[in-house]
Amino acid sequence: MTLELQKPRPIWQIMFSTHHTDVGLLYLISSLTFLFLGGSLALAIRAELFLPGSQIIADSMTFNRIFTVHGTTLIFLFIIPFASAVGNYYVPIMVRYKDMAYPKLNAIAFWMIPPAGVLIWLGFADFTWYATPPYSIISAPGPAADMWIFGLKILGISSVLGALNFVVTILKCKHPDMSIGQIPLLAWSFLSSSLIIIVAIPTFAAALLMLLTDRLGVSGFFNPAMGGDPIAYAHLFWFTFHPEVYVLVIPAIGMMYEIIPRFSRKPIYSYNSGIFAFVMLSLVGFSSWAHHMYATGMSFTEKTVFMVGTLAAVPASAMHVFNFVATMWNARIRFSTPMMWAVGGIALFFSAGAGGVVNSAMPLDFTTHDTYWVVGHFHLFVMGTIAFGSLGFLYYMFPYVTGRLYNETLGKIHFILAFIGTVLVFFTQHILGLYGMPRRIYDYPPIPEWIAMNQIASIGAMIIGTSMVIFLANMIYSAGKGKLADTDDPFGLGGKYYYPFEAKNPSH
Amino acid sequence: MKFLFGFLLIVAVLLALPAVDFVFAAGDEPGKYLDRRVVIWNLFYKMMTVAFTVGSVVSGTIIWQVWRFRESHPKAKPTSFEGTDW
Amino acid sequence: MSGHSNWPEWIYVTVVIALMAWVGAEAWEAERLVEHVPEDAKTIIVTGQQWFWTFEHEDGTKEIGELHVEVGKAYKFEVVSKDVNHSFNIHDYVVLMDAIPGRVNTVWFAPDKVGEHDIQCREYCGLIHYNMRGKLYVEEPSH
Repeated sequence: MTLELQKPRPIWQIMFSTHHTDVGLLYLISSLTFLFLGGSLALAIRAELFLPGSQIIADSMTFNRIFTVHGTTLIFLFIIPFASAVGNYYVPIMVRYKDMAYPKLNAIAFWMIPPAGVLIWLGFADFTWYATPPYSIISAPGPAADMWIFGLKILGISSVLGALNFVVTILKCKHPDMSIGQIPLLAWSFLSSSLIIIVAIPTFAAALLMLLTDRLGVSGFFNPAMGGDPIAYAHLFWFTFHPEVYVLVIPAIGMMYEIIPRFSRKPIYSYNSGIFAFVMLSLVGFSSWAHHMYATGMSFTEKTVFMVGTLAAVPASAMHVFNFVATMWNARIRFSTPMMWAVGGIALFFSAGAGGVVNSAMPLDFTTHDTYWVVGHFHLFVMGTIAFGSLGFLYYMFPYVTGRLYNETLGKIHFILAFIGTVLVFFTQHILGLYGMPRRIYDYPPIPEWIAMNQIASIGAMIIGTSMVIFLANMIYSAGKGKLADTDDPFGLGGKYYYPFEAKNPSH
Repeated sequence: MKFLFGFLLIVAVLLALPAVDFVFAAGDEPGKYLDRRVVIWNLFYKMMTVAFTVGSVVSGTIIWQVWRFRESHPKAKPTSFEGTDW
Repeated sequence: MSGHSNWPEWIYVTVVIALMAWVGAEAWEAERLVEHVPEDAKTIIVTGQQWFWTFEHEDGTKEIGELHVEVGKAYKFEVVSKDVNHSFNIHDYVVLMDAIPGRVNTVWFAPDKVGEHDIQCREYCGLIHYNMRGKLYVEEPSH
């Protein structure tokens, strides 16, 4: 299996191609570019918070702009495009079709990302990644805010187009000999997350338009001075973006479903329970959005409903963990770099989930809401689980894309440093939150515990930063000069690997 | 199998009952105020106890697996799928 | 893949569901207890605006940036906002409530010890959000 043509071509041939692997490569490169851009903003934030007082960032406005663009970039311009890259490479192959269902639409969906990224980065808005009104209406300076709104609008359309393409490719273009119950779990993860996108994104798209007209002063949907309600925005926003959490995490779990059986030299323990858990997550994901809003004055009943909806997502997530653990049981595991990332990701997935249970247990929200606990919690998801799964998968597909092997030692160093760094930063931030430090603050009073923990977190962030430099060097060097890979079995796992639809499993 | 389900059901009910009981028993005496810190942090520590217990079981299992089923382990043996077209 | 018995997973899922039911029940109970405002609680109107807190006691006295309360009494905060969203927070007493323009949100507490505590804003509100801080003084009863 080779995913990319190995003979060098002029760059414009790739840029103007509509072939799924070419579009996948474009997605991959742009998402990694934004990973490094967004990551460097994170390092700036951590450097600023190393000590109370002003360190490297001149004023709080700049700081606010930095964390806004950091969040927006890494969620919308790294994680989602990275998943699309993987989907573009693998979904057509997994459903045995020659390309995506709509190749031109596919290329258009990709080419919406760079202009959106440019809008977001040139604007550098300051109203946090959820643009909460009335601040975003009456206080946020334009044109940065308006550029952010347009950037997100474009990204929303791009996601919906990409999602439609995945759904049609999987459901309509799969090989007639295969039933839907035979496509690999990675493809199933794209089917589930794409369906979530199609249902969830339009709500936010509407909210963005309302926000824009509110900013222009022609409407007052969310502006209390004109009779609007800011909480309405919060509902619309979270109705999109809580399910969006599952849009981010489901493909990453799908990637682990690809890596773990492969390196365990065993089929997945239960294919059906994997599908069941994906479908459950994508349904239950819609029942929990308002757990982000407990402190806005919700009634006891509302809170109870959304707590139950949130807790309902736990069994499905736990089923994935069980599936991974059971797959590795009695296996003969080769710990190449991708496997290390996948196993590390599962280990952190548990902590992230446990933190989420605490957040949603109603009165505990008083202790954690909008503190660094929440920052630590969701970063354990986006970094510890999603980015770990994604980076692992990047190492996994590297030989198939470039025809060359990455440097295994550097890959392992990258993992170990990033794992240590992640634990240092995000577990410490949980504790920092319990000490009451609010998130999104430029400066903090010199409370000894706060200082100590901010310093641990900042050191952790520098460790992650270092590991990412190693990663970048490894990727660039190995793509051009790495050892040639045996594309039938680049990791030396022995035997021939088939996707489930080709399986001749003795237990069938 | 059936026994286990029944057993777990009983355990679940036993866990739920005291909570429900407590609800209907809670009184409201004037002049004596409930300390929200106590209620909330108690809940937090209870949840942390459970979370760390479950967490140590889960991560303990994963760490043990990683150690035991690595291919360089002296007792590692090929899985029944190796050498087949799985 | 299908075809083999899956009972360990069913047991596991049952345990997870039971655990979540327990978490939900405990949280529900605790929330019910802390939400119940005592009838004799004194009302303090807390107003958030960029970037300071104003407190208005029942007798009409106003304080800016600091709040004096008496030990052993219950207080009900009515949290409002004049401009954008804020979040009124006394972390030491686990008091947290968003100040949303156009809404009155309530939260209550009963300080039990004399002392000083930090008041802060926990919802992003712009330029000086990081320094939208105040002080809570818990004092001996005056009579």
